Amino acid sequence: MSLFGSLSKFALREKFVVVVSLVIIASMLIISGYVIKRQNEIYRIELEKRAKALVANLAYNAEYGVILESKSELDNLIKGVMRTDDIIYVVITAEDGRLLAEMGEDLRRAAKKTTIDQGSPDFSGKFEVAEYVAGNGTEFIEMGHPIETIRQSVSRENLGSVSGLEIKKDEENIEVIGKVRVGLTLANLHREINKSQTAAILLTLVVVISAIIIMTAFVRIITRPIESLVDVTDQISKGDLSRVVEIDRSDEIGLLAESFNRMIESLKKSQMEVEEYNRTLEEKIIERTSELENAQAQLIQSEKMAAIGQLAAGVAHELNNPLGGILGYAQFNLEKIQEKNANNITDKDIKSYKRYLKDIEMQTRRCKAIVQNLLKFSRTSQTIDFSDIDVNAVLEDTLTFMEHQLMINQINLRKNFDNSIPRIMGNPSQLQQVFTNIIINAMHASEPGSEIAVATRFSPPLGEFHGAVEISISDRGQGISEENIKKIFEPFFTTKEVGKGTGLGLSVSYGIIKEHGGEIKVNSTPNKGTIFTIIIPLEKKLSPAEKTV
Amino acid sequence: MRTATAKSILIVDDEEVMREFLTEILEDFAITKACNGEEAVEKIKERKFNLIITDMKMPGISGEEVVKFAREKSPETEIIVISGYSSLSSVSNTLGHGVRAFLSKPFTIKQIRAEVEKIFQTGDFTQTGGIRIGDGI
Repeated sequence: MSLFGSLSKFALREKFVVVVSLVIIASMLIISGYVIKRQNEIYRIELEKRAKALVANLAYNAEYGVILESKSELDNLIKGVMRTDDIIYVVITAEDGRLLAEMGEDLRRAAKKTTIDQGSPDFSGKFEVAEYVAGNGTEFIEMGHPIETIRQSVSRENLGSVSGLEIKKDEENIEVIGKVRVGLTLANLHREINKSQTAAILLTLVVVISAIIIMTAFVRIITRPIESLVDVTDQISKGDLSRVVEIDRSDEIGLLAESFNRMIESLKKSQMEVEEYNRTLEEKIIERTSELENAQAQLIQSEKMAAIGQLAAGVAHELNNPLGGILGYAQFNLEKIQEKNANNITDKDIKSYKRYLKDIEMQTRRCKAIVQNLLKFSRTSQTIDFSDIDVNAVLEDTLTFMEHQLMINQINLRKNFDNSIPRIMGNPSQLQQVFTNIIINAMHASEPGSEIAVATRFSPPLGEFHGAVEISISDRGQGISEENIKKIFEPFFTTKEVGKGTGLGLSVSYGIIKEHGGEIKVNSTPNKGTIFTIIIPLEKKLSPAEKTV
Repeated sequence: MRTATAKSILIVDDEEVMREFLTEILEDFAITKACNGEEAVEKIKERKFNLIITDMKMPGISGEEVVKFAREKSPETEIIVISGYSSLSSVSNTLGHGVRAFLSKPFTIKQIRAEVEKIFQTGDFTQTGGIRIGDGI
């Protein structure tokens, strides 16, 4: 990961400080490194120059001391030299290596040579310069120089000649008679370098710390308004538009704050518009929903009324039969009583009056039962009560109304009820509506002379399935096409003529059976017939919330 | 009033109360009862009736078919139709001539007696008075 990559997790201020500090430290290192190196070189050159001058001078002055091998004279010479800074030792040896004079500790005996310098070209080239590290760690330079003398020879021809004093001097006349070696310590050099390094580090630190302080203050000037912006943005993102950015500056940040505040203002305005719109939308939705609910309730009710209408004829017939008996017997009884005087009423007469009255009572009860049944069916109550019911009995009640209509349409009814089916939790009036819907549909699909079979059976429990009551209603009518069979439970889908069906019968029935936790299955073959199977499971335990529509 | 030459009436209705009631009020006539269409057809095959009073809606052979059969078998037999349907429209299109009256249930004793007496007193079996409809209670 790059430096900037790893910095990305830091805040703006830290990034700024780290980057600038690194730049400063790097610059300081480069600059002070260069300066110290140069300082080192200059110091060293100076030291060498000084040493060379010293050694050359010493070698020159030591000429006679060496020739004479006078230790005291040489010691005097060395004593003078030793007063100079940085000198550790001075050694003067004869040409054959014999030690003539020595002062200081000759560290070279136990030292290791590290570099060799052949000497600077501005000198005579006779210098031997080498750097050593002594056994005790002291670093020093040793500078050596030969001690020379000039042999003067006077040719025989020139002997005694006044002018023959001219001395012919050439290279061959110079003879090395000894050697001067001077040890110069590098400790002072190193001390100076160390001082410079310490100064450089301290300076770098001072610069970096000052830079950090200045930068922090400066970055603060930039980041504080940004933080304030971030804070306000955060509030806005939480939906609080009451805050504004309080920055009174005329620079770019001030402009940013200003435009940000303008943005908040326009956001506030839009939010208010949206809220207002939402409010009216909500009202509209509530209004429309309630309209729709009303319309739906009306449709369901009208579907029920349509089903009742279908039944009206059958009900009328069903009522008119017992009413005929009631009216007839009542009139007949009245007639009989009017014919007789109170005195000559015989036991036989009373017996027949009783019989007529019994008939009237019986027929009246029949009427009552029919009316109750009809009321049960057409009840508009919104609360759906589930009770423990016998599906066979509900089917019988339904068929009471249907039988006559089936008869008009010359359709035979075959009942095949399983009397051992268990009772279920259900709403008889709703189930009656479902059965009526399906039977009426079957009737409309059937030709005269055809048959409709209504059967019940018990589907026994298996594993987690607790068993179910199955009601099948089958006809031998025209059947339902494959295309239509998918749509039959959709609201308003009907194949009947306009005005003959609402298209809600099966959709409402489906809803009712769903409420009973059951399902309706359809199996149809065009021109062969249709079987509707209603399956109502036994385990459905209804919570109070499910009991209302 | 009952004589040896009492007029014969066939009462066809699947409702027992109706059959019994009609039998009671028409006690002066020779009454034969049939509780469904099949039985009525059998009785018509066996003998001739002066009057047939029949219900319309019955399981199996309907009143309409009974009327048709009677028309073919014995055209001179008078017919009165009684029905639980108060509207004539449900039966009129299937009924031919020869039905002397249509009474919708529930009808009064007076109405049925009036219709029966009218048929037997006029003795004019060729008269076609069209279909008369009982006006209820």
